[in-house]
Amino acid sequence: MTFRQFALNNVIRNKRLYAAYFLSSLFTVMVFFTFAIFAFHPAFFNGGIRAEVLYGMAVAGGIIYVFSFFFVLYSMSSFLQSRKKEFGLLMMQGMSTRQIRLMVFMENMLIGLFATLIGVLLGLVFAKAILLLAENALVIDETLNFYFPLWAILVTFVSFIGLFLFISLFVSFILRTRKLVDLIKADKQSKGEPKASVILAILAVALLVAGYATALYVKGQMVVMAMLPVIIVVTIGTYLLFTQVSVYLIRRLKGSKGIFWRKTNMVLFSDLSFRMKDNARTFFMVAIISTVAFSAIGSLYGFQSYLTGGLKEANPFSFMYASSEDNKENDMEEDVRAIEEKMDEYDIEGESGQVDLTYFNRNDGEVLITSESDYNRFADMLGERKVNLDNDEAIVIGDSNRVLAPQSEKDRLMDSPVELADGTTIQPDRLLESSHVLPEMYSYYIVSDTAYERLPEPDTVETSTAWMADKGQEDALIQAGEAIFNEIGGYNLVAVDYSLYQINKVYGPILFIGLFIGIVFFVSAGSFLYFRLYSDLDQDKDKFKSIAKMGLTDNELKKVINRQTALLFFTPIVVALVHGAVALTALSHLFDYNLVNEAALVLGTFAVIQIVYFAIVRYFYTKQIKRSVYY
Amino acid sequence: MLQVKNVSKVYEGKVAYRALSNVDLGIEKGEFAAIMGPSGSGKTTLLNMVATIDEPTTGEVLIEDYNPHTLNRNELAKFRRRELGFVFQEFNLLHTLTVEENMVLPLTLDGKRVKEMKEKAEEIAEKLSISGIMSKRIHEISGGQAQRAAIARAMIHQPKLLLADEPTGNLDSKSSKDVMGMLETLNKKEDTTMMLVTHDPQAASYADRVIFIRDGRFYSEIHRGKSRQTFFQSIIDTLSLMGGDDSDFSSVRP
Repeated sequence: MTFRQFALNNVIRNKRLYAAYFLSSLFTVMVFFTFAIFAFHPAFFNGGIRAEVLYGMAVAGGIIYVFSFFFVLYSMSSFLQSRKKEFGLLMMQGMSTRQIRLMVFMENMLIGLFATLIGVLLGLVFAKAILLLAENALVIDETLNFYFPLWAILVTFVSFIGLFLFISLFVSFILRTRKLVDLIKADKQSKGEPKASVILAILAVALLVAGYATALYVKGQMVVMAMLPVIIVVTIGTYLLFTQVSVYLIRRLKGSKGIFWRKTNMVLFSDLSFRMKDNARTFFMVAIISTVAFSAIGSLYGFQSYLTGGLKEANPFSFMYASSEDNKENDMEEDVRAIEEKMDEYDIEGESGQVDLTYFNRNDGEVLITSESDYNRFADMLGERKVNLDNDEAIVIGDSNRVLAPQSEKDRLMDSPVELADGTTIQPDRLLESSHVLPEMYSYYIVSDTAYERLPEPDTVETSTAWMADKGQEDALIQAGEAIFNEIGGYNLVAVDYSLYQINKVYGPILFIGLFIGIVFFVSAGSFLYFRLYSDLDQDKDKFKSIAKMGLTDNELKKVINRQTALLFFTPIVVALVHGAVALTALSHLFDYNLVNEAALVLGTFAVIQIVYFAIVRYFYTKQIKRSVYY
Repeated sequence: MLQVKNVSKVYEGKVAYRALSNVDLGIEKGEFAAIMGPSGSGKTTLLNMVATIDEPTTGEVLIEDYNPHTLNRNELAKFRRRELGFVFQEFNLLHTLTVEENMVLPLTLDGKRVKEMKEKAEEIAEKLSISGIMSKRIHEISGGQAQRAAIARAMIHQPKLLLADEPTGNLDSKSSKDVMGMLETLNKKEDTTMMLVTHDPQAASYADRVIFIRDGRFYSEIHRGKSRQTFFQSIIDTLSLMGGDDSDFSSVRP
């Protein structure tokens, strides 16, 4: 047996030991490769997409690569930690430090090579799926066909062989040789129970409360200024939360015999306080990484819905054409005819209506006064609630929520009456929420038709024509919108479906990349937890074996493992979810736009994924422990 | 109290291995019995069978005329922690717990009241003179103390039968004497039935009776008379008669 054979056999005959490290390497290669397949797609290279997006993708690729580096490094070092005893044993047999380094280097290169190869192969299998996903997320005109990603393969191969080479060199040099006795007794040594300082625990709570309070309190532009300090304060607070507060709480729990000496609690908590030392760092990392993922995806998604949702809300009609003062009567007729021709051309069914919007000068600017029948006609097209007025009644429609007016001014029109030509006034008696029935953002009046006749000459008249297409013709509307837009220009026209399409087209890639990176972060957070759990597997096996000899029922065993795993999996994620919720609330304050639904959707999805992940990991962990206990 | 009736154990595998064949054994209530034999003779297999950790291939084990092997796994777990006590060579104490916490562990699993557990722990610690180290952690105490803590844990719920597997295997001779003396006292004062498996003739000489097995079969047994010294001598004699002594080098211990 040559040395090389020894190193090789050590890996091959010890598959299970290396599996976790191998799989996480494989995973990072696969992520990078699928991203590369997408980024190097000919549809982008042949000018289908804008330079900014390409730049964005290059940056995203870089982020994934740097992250992969640290992820592999972390996996590697936690893997080596668990093999201290083996190294000690080998050194006792006379292996030199140089030889151990050489062995680690060779093992690592072997694993790296196979991880890269298999990662690329698996990536190819998933390539079609990821391209389909991208096609739907990105609004692009071409379809993303499957292609043979030669460039992606080359880039992935070179990058990752380089990465593994560098890490292997790096790790074999930082593999410090401690005293032999420390290595051999590595698994027996007591790490000592971590201690918590009450002052630091209080500080942690204070920092978190201060950070949260600031984030929730500030509004508008202040959010941007407060962002950096809040992030720093909350990050420090989170670190102390895991290293100090958690240890403090567990110690308190252990101190109380009523709780600690109750049934299986003793088995559960005793290890927890010892593992907290290792767990704290993992928890901190997982919480921060997940928070970044949640906030990034949440803000991108929220921002998109802010852009599109606002547009959709303000423009409920399919097409809206408004005359302005400087375009003459016949221009308008021509344009309206052009719009209707195009609608015919694309077979769009629907209703249309025209309204003269009459504006009257008031002391603080122009205000719209409209008649009951005009309003109801448009409301009818949208299927909105109609209004019913008495002859001497007036209604005020409130500001649209796009108007950034203070709350106290929302009902300003309620205090000023409508003046008729003969000098009589009508005091408005009702205030309705803005419904965007008429294309007017600011507050306006509705009066009865008879009162409308008696109004003075208006100062400005705008003629608006609206078309409301029947449901289910979105594609035709986008195409028609584009055609109309090209013919008459966008100055007087709002074609909402086409505008949304354009926003999505620009925004789609950003969202997709954000989502991709977010998911990469989230999944790797999950594998950090997996590593943490499995590094304690042998210890747990021993523990449960000795307790089982004394007598531990299946249910008790399950209960302990269940709680132990749940604590590991959910503590950091719950913290991250709270962080994310606070961050998204602050974001919604910045735009003054309600993000509750978006935040709930994003955070809820991640919570569900985590629960599924927990269920799977728990199943396998329990199975392994049981096998070692009962057979 | 304990009856092992015609028990055999065959380990299936590529080559089936017969660890025990047709062993009969009876232990009276309050008796202190030791099982001796060379490595690989099947002593630990026999103990595991009585401890309900392993099942006999044929034959039956009765504890107070009741066969625990008819119970399912969960009932067995409860049976073990209520009716049996275990002392192992490698102590099997949880190093994350203090001595006291280790002692009360079987009781906490049964959901006993804290006050009751505390009282029992103090009482038994007094008897085994480990009151002073109750709040110490396992790595802070010596092997002899650890084994006494393990005995305390095995005794705290007043089991019907205390099973000890090489309890002195990891101890020096002074600690061995202490621990065995402790077990003898418990046997006499508390009237606890005990079954001890050991290599060590010194340890076996504390028992009332020593049963020798070889190659999975009953070989002979001797009873203790008045003097422990003569008993020890006859144990040594039987061992040398059996052809293997306690310092046998053996490759595996099943």
